[in-house]
Amino acid sequence: MPVDRRRIRGPDESQSPYHFISKESQKCLASGDRRSDDSQRGPLDIRPIFARCGLNSQAKGSAYIEAGNTKIICSVYGPRETERKDETDMKSGRLVADMRFAPFACHKRGAWVQGNEEKDLSLGLLESLRPGVCLHKYPRSQIDVCVMVLESDGPALSHAVTCASLALADAGIEMYDMVLGCTVRHTGTTQLLDPTFSEVQDDQDGVFVENQGSVTLSLMPNMNQVSGLQSDGVMEQESLKAAVQACIEGCYKLYPVIQHTLLKTVRKNAPPSEN
Amino acid sequence: MVKRYAATCTHVGNQNIMAEGFKTADPLEYHKSFLKENCRPDGRELDEFRTTTLNIGPISTAEGSALVKIGNTTVMCGIKAELAVPPSDTPDKGYIVPNVDMPPLCASKVRSGPPEEQAQAASQFIADIIETSEIIRKEDLCIEKEKLCWVLYCDIMCLDYDGNLLDTCIVALLAALKNTQLPKVTINKETDLPEVDLLKKCSISVNRHPVGSSFAVFDNTITIVDPTADEESLATAVMTLVIDEEGRLCSLHKPGGTALSGEKLQDCMGRAVTRHREISKLVDKILESIKK
Amino acid sequence: MDLSVHGVSPATREFGCEQNLLSRPDGSASFIQGNTSVLAGVYGPAEVKVSKEIYDRATLEVVMQPKIGLPGVRERAREQCVRETCEAALLSTLHPRSSLTLILQEVHDDGSLLACCLNAACMALMDAGLPMSCLFCGITCVIDTDGQIITDPTLQQEKESRALMTFAIDSTDKRVLMSSTKGSISIQELQEAIALSQKASHRIFEFYRGSVSRRYSKTLK
Repeated sequence: MPVDRRRIRGPDESQSPYHFISKESQKCLASGDRRSDDSQRGPLDIRPIFARCGLNSQAKGSAYIEAGNTKIICSVYGPRETERKDETDMKSGRLVADMRFAPFACHKRGAWVQGNEEKDLSLGLLESLRPGVCLHKYPRSQIDVCVMVLESDGPALSHAVTCASLALADAGIEMYDMVLGCTVRHTGTTQLLDPTFSEVQDDQDGVFVENQGSVTLSLMPNMNQVSGLQSDGVMEQESLKAAVQACIEGCYKLYPVIQHTLLKTVRKNAPPSEN
Repeated sequence: MVKRYAATCTHVGNQNIMAEGFKTADPLEYHKSFLKENCRPDGRELDEFRTTTLNIGPISTAEGSALVKIGNTTVMCGIKAELAVPPSDTPDKGYIVPNVDMPPLCASKVRSGPPEEQAQAASQFIADIIETSEIIRKEDLCIEKEKLCWVLYCDIMCLDYDGNLLDTCIVALLAALKNTQLPKVTINKETDLPEVDLLKKCSISVNRHPVGSSFAVFDNTITIVDPTADEESLATAVMTLVIDEEGRLCSLHKPGGTALSGEKLQDCMGRAVTRHREISKLVDKILESIKK
Repeated sequence: MDLSVHGVSPATREFGCEQNLLSRPDGSASFIQGNTSVLAGVYGPAEVKVSKEIYDRATLEVVMQPKIGLPGVRERAREQCVRETCEAALLSTLHPRSSLTLILQEVHDDGSLLACCLNAACMALMDAGLPMSCLFCGITCVIDTDGQIITDPTLQQEKESRALMTFAIDSTDKRVLMSSTKGSISIQELQEAIALSQKASHRIFEFYRGSVSRRYSKTLK
């Protein structure tokens, strides 16, 4: 096994204390209420969102999004020269997405090196964003989207999509539309929009549950087009349809907040009017 | 050149564009023209730090965390605790594993991939400070001798790089350690497995409070405090002094560059001592406010 | 600062140096301090990768190889110290858009390794004939548990010490180019250590001079 020589290493083996939680305290963790994070929230409500643009001084554009405990920061660099000259496209620009979790983002400590899960998420992010960006306007150049999940409470991809598209807009990259993301968790007959970590975790005790899965969807609200759709688990056709519908509705709930954030940013950045 | 610019520019807006142009065309001359007047492009005095803000405990998934901003430079430190067997040569001690990372999102020059030299050197620097100044006594991390101890993974991540990484990292580390709460762990006599009680948490004792102050040197003569990324790249040398609460030096880190005279070093020490006072006050104030 | 007041003289171990001992590099040197030994090789000025090119000066890269295993974070931190010290001494603006590579191989570590690396680096740069504004040397001092400052310590003395400092000192003004310290030090102790290192640097520079003149005495006759 190759060792990471570019980082300071700890002991060869260490285990998360969450593996050894005593029975009594375990009970206190799992609460009966399904929407444990916020009792006000109905099953088809999204978590309240806090979004800001332009936090990173070095990037062309950046955004920060906070939904409940999920915290995501995104920077956009470019359009700049492509790193790999052999892949230079004369007609269209290249969009590169990199999504990472901070080592302290989840209950279990993550590794510094990007894992397979992060690579899959990066790809999902890229494919959701690409239809929204006017890449033909940036021939021979590259636009880098770097997403860092600082804290993850529930599926992060949907929020990463929203955050990244905000950052792209802040960077002044020409886009057809914003891209918004939303996730729904389906179990049996219930659907939970924008689930938290515990809501996704509850059912994963290794027991196969009929008709259970998650759907993550990216929507371009003005054009009413879906740019990305990911589904896992086993779901009946009807439930899947309902889940997609729930996601689209969730995105429209999100849209005014994102619009407001963008407007605020534009107003702040606009040069004072010359009279 | 500057005078000619000024003569031709009548509009304030135009002047700004010209200043931008001057900065791009000859950044060193641009900075020096400010330093000559004993001030800096961002309006600071030579011995003035940028505004330092601190947010303690923003990450609930970490045992301890802190977000520190010095000017634009933003660093987040998250501490995750895990359980391990103590090292065989020191069975009564735990582990502290610090790592500094500069992911591609923090600056345009950083490309994705493993940490580059700057991040690696920063990791080593932080590790040396933890070890030599004994911020945390490693004996405190031992749960049962030869059997079980804590590993504190101190992951320090730069989110926005605008110079002075080391100072920011030290403040973030210190604040995050002060915020760290470890659950109570006992070893079950029958199964010989640890049992973790998440309801009983206690903080760890922070022994020493090192605070760093970084300086940039221009041509052996002018020293400025808390350099930005631009200033760092133009300076002929950078230096970081780390001082603890007793005014003793934990580290004098000057990785090369032009020489610095003894008197200048004295001045820097003086500044570092006042900086220590400022930062301790800030950390205490924020810790006090989150207790309420 | 007068050293006789303190009653300590900057004792150093036996030095040894051989230049131009490798045929491949453009400059090479081995430096020995007691049992600590480092081998250095310099390549350049040569062509530089476009990504690393600096338009107004040469790009210096330093690679440090430990005795056993692959280089890690500690080596990287040392590389940074050596590189920036060399950059301060080298007149790299005379070779714009070119690359200089310095490779340091640890042969044996018996204390004061970083100092020995700096000395080997300086001798190798000299051997490569690269223009420098000044020479530099490295000195390690430790403060032992009695508060005594020992220069050029062995590995054993390093382990028993409570603080360790390594300085790089230039040959013209005898000022501190590089400093890397470990352990808690008072300001007074720091100043004493710097003064002591400056004294010790005289001896190293004298050794440099002697070593180089011995080497050229044969060819210049």
